This record gives sequence, structure tokens and C-alpha cells, in this order.
Amino acid sequence: MKFGWCKAVLLACVVALMSVPAHAKTVKIACASAFSGPAAAYGDNVKAGVTLKVEEINAAGGVGGAQVEVLWMDSLCDPKESNTVAAKIARDEEIVGVVGHLCSSAHLAALPTYLRAGVPAITPTATNVAISDQNKDRKGLVWSFRDVYRDDFQGKFLARYAKEVLGVAKVAVFYENNDYGIGLKDAFVGEAKRLGLDVVGEEAYVKGTPDFTPQLTKLKASAPDGIFLSGYYNEGALIASQAKKIGLDVLKFGADGFDNMDYIKLAGDASEGTYITTPFLASEAGPEAQKFLADFKARYNRDVDYMSANAYDAAGILLQAIEKAGADRAKIREYLAGMNTPEKGYHGVSGLTYFDEHGDAQKPAFVKVVKNGEMVPAQQLK
Amino acid sequence: MLEQLLPQLVNGLTLGVIYALIAVGYTMVYGVIELINFAHGEVYMFGAFLCVTFITAVGMPFYLAIVAAMGCCALIGMFLDLVAYKPLRKAPRLAALITAIGMSIFLQNLAMVIWGSRPLPFVQSAVPAYLNETALSFSGVYLTWLQLFIFAVTTAMMLGLMFIITRTRIGTAMRALAQNKTAAALMGINVNFVIAFTFALGSAMGAVAGILVSVYYNSLYPTMGYVAGVKAFAAAVLGGIGSVPGAMLGGIVLGVAEALGAGYVSSLYRDGVAYAVMIAVIIFRPSGLLGKAVIDKA
Amino acid sequence: MGKIKPLLAVLALGLLAYPLLPFANEYLLHVVILVMIYMVLAMGLNIVPGFCGLLDLGFVGFYGIGAYTAGLLTVHYGVSFWLIVPLAALNGALWGVLLGAPTLRLTGDYFAIVTFGFSELVVLFLTNEIWLTRGPLGLPGIDPVNVNLEFLHPDWFWEFVGEAPYFYLALFMVLAVYFVLRRVEDSRLGRAWFAIREDPLAAASCGVDILTYKVIAFAISAGIGAVGGAFFARWQLFLSPDMFKFWESFLVLCMVVLGGLGNIHGALIGAVIMVCLGEVLREALFVAGLPPEVRFLFYGLIMVLIMRFKPAGFFPAIAATARGNPLLAALAERIEKTYGERRETHS
Repeated sequence: MKFGWCKAVLLACVVALMSVPAHAKTVKIACASAFSGPAAAYGDNVKAGVTLKVEEINAAGGVGGAQVEVLWMDSLCDPKESNTVAAKIARDEEIVGVVGHLCSSAHLAALPTYLRAGVPAITPTATNVAISDQNKDRKGLVWSFRDVYRDDFQGKFLARYAKEVLGVAKVAVFYENNDYGIGLKDAFVGEAKRLGLDVVGEEAYVKGTPDFTPQLTKLKASAPDGIFLSGYYNEGALIASQAKKIGLDVLKFGADGFDNMDYIKLAGDASEGTYITTPFLASEAGPEAQKFLADFKARYNRDVDYMSANAYDAAGILLQAIEKAGADRAKIREYLAGMNTPEKGYHGVSGLTYFDEHGDAQKPAFVKVVKNGEMVPAQQLK
Repeated sequence: MLEQLLPQLVNGLTLGVIYALIAVGYTMVYGVIELINFAHGEVYMFGAFLCVTFITAVGMPFYLAIVAAMGCCALIGMFLDLVAYKPLRKAPRLAALITAIGMSIFLQNLAMVIWGSRPLPFVQSAVPAYLNETALSFSGVYLTWLQLFIFAVTTAMMLGLMFIITRTRIGTAMRALAQNKTAAALMGINVNFVIAFTFALGSAMGAVAGILVSVYYNSLYPTMGYVAGVKAFAAAVLGGIGSVPGAMLGGIVLGVAEALGAGYVSSLYRDGVAYAVMIAVIIFRPSGLLGKAVIDKA
Repeated sequence: MGKIKPLLAVLALGLLAYPLLPFANEYLLHVVILVMIYMVLAMGLNIVPGFCGLLDLGFVGFYGIGAYTAGLLTVHYGVSFWLIVPLAALNGALWGVLLGAPTLRLTGDYFAIVTFGFSELVVLFLTNEIWLTRGPLGLPGIDPVNVNLEFLHPDWFWEFVGEAPYFYLALFMVLAVYFVLRRVEDSRLGRAWFAIREDPLAAASCGVDILTYKVIAFAISAGIGAVGGAFFARWQLFLSPDMFKFWESFLVLCMVVLGGLGNIHGALIGAVIMVCLGEVLREALFVAGLPPEVRFLFYGLIMVLIMRFKPAGFFPAIAATARGNPLLAALAERIEKTYGERRETHS
């Protein structure tokens, strides 16, 4: 009877996995993001945005009379875990759509399952270019959309901004060695070279180690006028303060990964004068966006970041699709794919969102700068 | 290229001393009960968070908060021993290792539940201002008082520990225990007390490390213990696990290898250079830099 | 037993047929396949710490080598899965020999840290050599497994779709590895390993070439890890260096120890527990109304509790052979009574 144990445990698992409780008169969506592990802080941003949107909709009567229920799926920003979560979502027919995943690699790992089962997904944060090629099923239908820039767009945009507005000549790149950092860096360096900028140094860092001085010392030796920080705010803040410590006091600019007040909180004075791209400017946003900013601050006691804003809009887009097309996966996909012109786009807090034939959002980019501990609009690119 | 050498050495030294600070706690516990206490990195993280909590919630001054956090972490260390490791003293060694990993996951997620997952800045207003001022600057090297303070604390801790281990009664008991638990018990040594004391001491040092590191980088987050813990463990083994000066030397070798690797090889292989150096050293010195040759117990 | 056996046979048949049923739960199958992959990995790792008594923290390196061997051969050359498996196994074993030959003389934790360093180097290589592996951007678009018999008949080409075919393939893989290892355990090779684990000095004096046998063990372990990786690549259809981080080594080690170090059945049950625990908690927390953030809090706690109450795992190793002998057991008991704690002589 050596296998008695195995069987007992296996059976217990089978029973536990199958016992999904049923709820009446609700419409279910899933939010797959990182709620534990090293990327949990980002997952928290996404959760805040989605929660706010869903609560608003539910308070206003829900979608077509049904209350919206969000199933929070912890995929840890881990590709393997994401695929498991995707299988769980695909299996539960009541889940009509997904907001997520958080990381590009996680999203790419989940895509084969979504395509096979036909689950529409909107990611608020996955920016990797490869997603545009991998999100179509065998009939060529797009199942995954994103209301966030692609890496190549932002990288090129920042290169132009550095040249035309900031007027730097020698630029160094310090990038996080992950899909986001590399995607941005490659696009930036390519465009910068095309524009005649001198890229004097490219260094990488990994998430987790809090010390960046060896790389910064090396970059300092190449004497750049400006440094492009291609990564997220958590590490960015440490980099900014360590750069200041070792006397590398040059112009800094980063992509939307820096668009979070924690950057200023963590870096303090060292964050001053950092240029950041953003999909929307709080000061120039419409009344609806202003209300969102105020609600968010009241609810979470912190300022909105781009992840929360994108997640708020991703949930908004998905719920609008459910309302217009009904709680049916294929119809929702069709509706989302039909949002392909500015007229049919979604007016969210992060600006107007509509999708091209690859499911990528077309959004304008703006630039903010850190001044006196605040993020204020900077001079925009013409 | 050469003008980078000095600053890179200083970077590596700072990094290495920080590794050493954590590695000392590892190596001490290991030296006594041969347990790789993977939860040590989590104690280090708790030290930092508790210190910040004492400053913000209770309003303690900086130095008092450090002492309080050390005390709490010593208790956490003893508690860890009591609930997780003590019941497994007679079990195979790997069972305790798995418990240590489980505890590490538990504590990390506990911190995430208590303090949230987003990184916090250290309460700079509570930190004495002079610590962040530049103490020395020469040929491209900038040293803050804090860096000097970290060097001093690490050295003091190492010397203090060596004093405790070699010159005091409890230290003698610890060494006796390390050699043979049964014989030590027969000589009238209270085994469980000595082990609890070792955990308390190691954890208090972990707390100091956590606090100093989070002040230095001005950032603390629940997963900070994991990476630091793994590196410190590597440092402790490299130096010869169980040896306190070995942990210090191992940390510095690892830190300098990392800095020079990033500076002269490729920042992509920063950790890779450190690990390659580590593997090479261990192949040629199979019991670490300062470790005693171990009898093959396989 | 006589009456239970037919019942068990029916149950086993039912479970076997389950994936083919129209109402089969794809998510459940997904988890079961994942469990089976980890079963293979755990059985592979078990050889080194379980049979030879060496702590190996770098197992995930071989798993990664196998996965990327399979992924790259598929994406660039479209090599058939059936050819990839032996290639991946050979590649894994080759690296096992390369790493093992110079380092297997090391003892205890020094060996552990060297294997750890190796697995980190593998991950760094996979991350940084973008020209080859696409690095952190991941390797998407890996073809699923297919059976290509077009040379017999132009229509005989089947591609694996959904989880069911993978279920049977994984089951076959688990059974194959299981039976091979069971045979090895009982062979001259297996006995030599146990001898090394129990007392290297005695083994050496009986003419066992310790280093050679350790290298063979390490190579077989690495090869099995690589096979698991190859299957994983063709099943997930996407690879990223993030999948082969240090944590995976820990996870597999936990399975081996939790199940019972040195026991093949232990490795199997360990894989079931560790994979299912995460998934069951996902559901249990939801039912209990707890936020998803606390999942790993319970995960860690349960791990500690299992070790607390089952310190030798679910299937204690046959290492207890010596204690199984009534004479020796009585002697050990007397020594323990007289001298207090029994001193561990092996790790």
C-alpha cells in the first residue's frame, strides 16, 4: 500500500480543484498579476487601478445589471506560474476576460493557452514587442490587446526627445536586464545612432541587487551629458541616488517605468530634473481623469502611477466590451478588435485608446519632469 | 581604464563588507550546529523594517531603535530555533534545511502582509545628518561617513565575535558543541541554551546589517533578504564556512570580484564573475579560504 | 488486498481515461502534467543527495540546459521531439560530467555552493547571450510535439493539441524514468552509490571507485533533468530564463526531502505535494475569502509543519537499512539511551 498516500493526496487535490463555487447574477473577469514575490509592488499598483474601476461600475449598477466580480490570480510575474493561471482562467467558462498579465514574459507564456481556448486579454503593463506577433490564433484573430506603449515606440520617442528638446550629445544607457529594459534600450540606441547622438556607454543591471556603483563608476568614466535609465522606478531611485553619491550628476531620463511617486520618495533630491515619459498629464487631463486622480489619492493615500491608470483603463475597456457585446468571450474579442479607429476608441483617464491590427494601443506620449519633489509637465516634443 | 580601478575597488570593498556583515551571522550558526540557516536573510530584512517601525510608530531615536530592533531580532532568532529547528535536531540535516527555506518563505511573506510590498525609504529625518556627508574624497572616490561607519561596525563585530568565541565561557561552550554535541552535553553544557544564544547573537547581528544597509541604500523591501542572504551564504562558504574571519574575507573577495567584473569584464556578467571566482577558489581550496579541512563525512 | 486490487485497477483505468472524456478539466490536466514534470525532476535530483549523499543546489541548471536545447533546436531547425529528447539528455549529461569531474571531490556544503554557482552561471548565460537565446525577451513560438509518419502515408501527421496528449506523454516519461531508476537502484551501480552515501571510506576500501561513481550519478541526474526540461519546452511553447532561477532548485530539493530523501516514491509524492499545495491554496484562500497576497505565507508555514511532523519525509529512506536490522537497532537504542543524542554520521 505504498501508493495509498499518493492516491489520497491526488484525490484531495482533484476534489479541491474542481470545487469552484458558483455565484448567480455576476459577471466574472480575472486579473492576473503578481501579488507576492519580488514584483508584488507592481501587482499592487495594477490591483489598485482595477479595484477602483470595478467598484465604480458596481456602485453604478454593474454591467448590464450584473455585478462584476474580479478573480485575483497570482502569477508572480513568473512564466510557468502564468501558464498555470491561464489554464485555470481558460477552464472557468464564467470568466469572460482577463486584465493582465503583468510582465511581458508572463504574458507571452500565457498566450498559447489563451489563443487555444479563446480568452480575450488586455494587458496594462506588458510592453514587449514580441507580443504583437504572438497574439493571433490560427485563424489570424487577435486575442490579446494592450493599452500600454510598445517598447520600441517609447525608446524611439525618448531618443528624439533627448536630441531635440534636451539637446544632449553624448548619452549613456543604464538598463535593467529584462525584457522591458532591453526592449527600450535597443529601440533607443537604434534611433539615437540614426539621429547622430553619440552613445558612449551601455551597462546592465539586474533586479534584486541594491548596489549599482560599479556600473555607474564605469559609465562616469565615459563622461556622458545625459543618461537614459531604462527600467523601473524602484531600482531607478537607487540608481539616481547612487549616481549622485559618486559624483555622476548629469541629466537623467526614463520611460513610463519611472512614472510613480515612489521614485521621488525613494530617491529624494537625487530625483530632481529627471525627465519621464507618460501617457497622460494630470494637469491637462479632463474632468473625468481629475476625478480619478482625486479618488485614487483618497482611497490609497498615494498618487496615481501609470500602472494603476493603465489598469483602471484596461478594466474599463474590458467592462465596456462586456456591456456592449455581452458576456461572451468571442463577442468581446470581436468588439475589442473593432476598436480600431480613434472614433471607436475608449476615452479613459490615460487618454484615448484604440487598437491597431496587432492589438497594440495607439497613444500619444507626453513628458514630465521632477521639480521640487513634484512631477510637472515638461516641454513637449513637437 | 586604470583611473577606474581605485573607485571600483572602493565600490567592491563597500559591497563586500555588506556581504560580510550578513555572512558573519550565517557562519556563526553554521559553525555551531552545521545548519544553513536560510531564514537569516529574512531576519536581516525584519531588522530593517522593525527599526523603521520603531522610529515612525513609537518615535524612538535612531540609535535606540537600532538596539530595540536588535533585541527583537534576537527574539525572532530564538523563536525560529525553538519552533523550527529544535524539533529537528535528530532529523537528517537536509530536513532542517527545508524547514529553513520554509521559514524564509513564511517570514518574507509575513513582512509583505505587515508592511506591504512596495519599497519604503528609510526615515532619513531620524538618521544623524553627518552620516550622509562625504568624509573622504580623493581621485574620483567619494566615501561617506556612513560607509566608514559600516566598515567600522563590521570590523568591530568580527573582533567582538572572535572575542566571544575564543575568550568567554559561552564561546568555549559553542566550540565544544561544534565539535561534538553529545560529549559537550556530557560535560555539563546546556546544549539548547548555547544554541539559542548563538541564534540570538547571530540574529542581532543580522538586524544591524539590515539597518545599516537600508540606511545606506535608503530603501527597504520584503524581498531584500533573499538576494542578500544568498550572496552572503556564498561569501560564508567561500571564506570557509564556520570561520568568522573567513566570512569577512569571503564577503570582500566576492564584493571586489563583482565590482571589478562589472567594471572590466561586462556588467551583464557582474554576478557571473563573482560566482566564477568563487568556483575557482573552491576547486583549488576545497575548504574555502580560511576554513579548516573537513573530514569527508559525505 | 485481494478485494482491493480490482477496485484499484478500475480506479487507475478511470484516471487513465479521464483526459479523453469530453468534460475533462484542462486546468486539472495542466496541473497534473506539471506535477509529472516535477516528478521526473525530483527523481533525477534524488540520485545525487538521496543516493550519493551530496547536496546539489544547481539542479535547475541542467533543467534549463535541457529546455533551451529543445527550444532552440525546435525554433531554429525544427528538429523532431523524438530526436530532441536524447540530444537534450546527452547535452545535460555532458554538462554534468564537465561540472562533476572537477568538483565532486568537494565535500558537503562546498559542493552545494559550487553547484549553486554553476546554475547561476547557466541562467546568466541564458539571459545575456541574446543572439542565441533571445535572453530575457524569451523564446516564444516553440512548436508543440508532433508525431510525423508522413514517410509512411502523407496524411499521417498529428500535432499535439490541448493537454490530453501531453498527459499521456508525460505519464510515459514518468514511468520510463521510474522503471529505469528502480532497476538502477537494485543494480551494481545503485549499490555502489548507497555504499558511498553510507560510508565512503568503507566503500573505497571495498574497491568502489568513488569519484567515477559520483560522476556517473551526477551525469544521470543531469540527463534526467534535461529530459524534463525538453518536455517542458515543447509543452509550455515559451521559454524564458526566469523559469530557471535558483528558486526552482530549492523547490525540487524540497520535493525530494519532503517526500523522503533517497526514496524514489518519496520524490513522486514530494512533487505532488509541492505543486498541488500552491494550486490548492489558490482555491482555498479564495473560498476562505483571504487575499491572494497571503498564499505563500501559508505555503511556507505548511512546509515547516510537514518537516516538523515528518522529519524523515513521507517515505523514509532505505538509508535506515542499518537500523532495520534488529541487532543493530537494539544496539543503537542502547547507545542513545546511554549517551543522549545520537550523533549524525552522514548528512
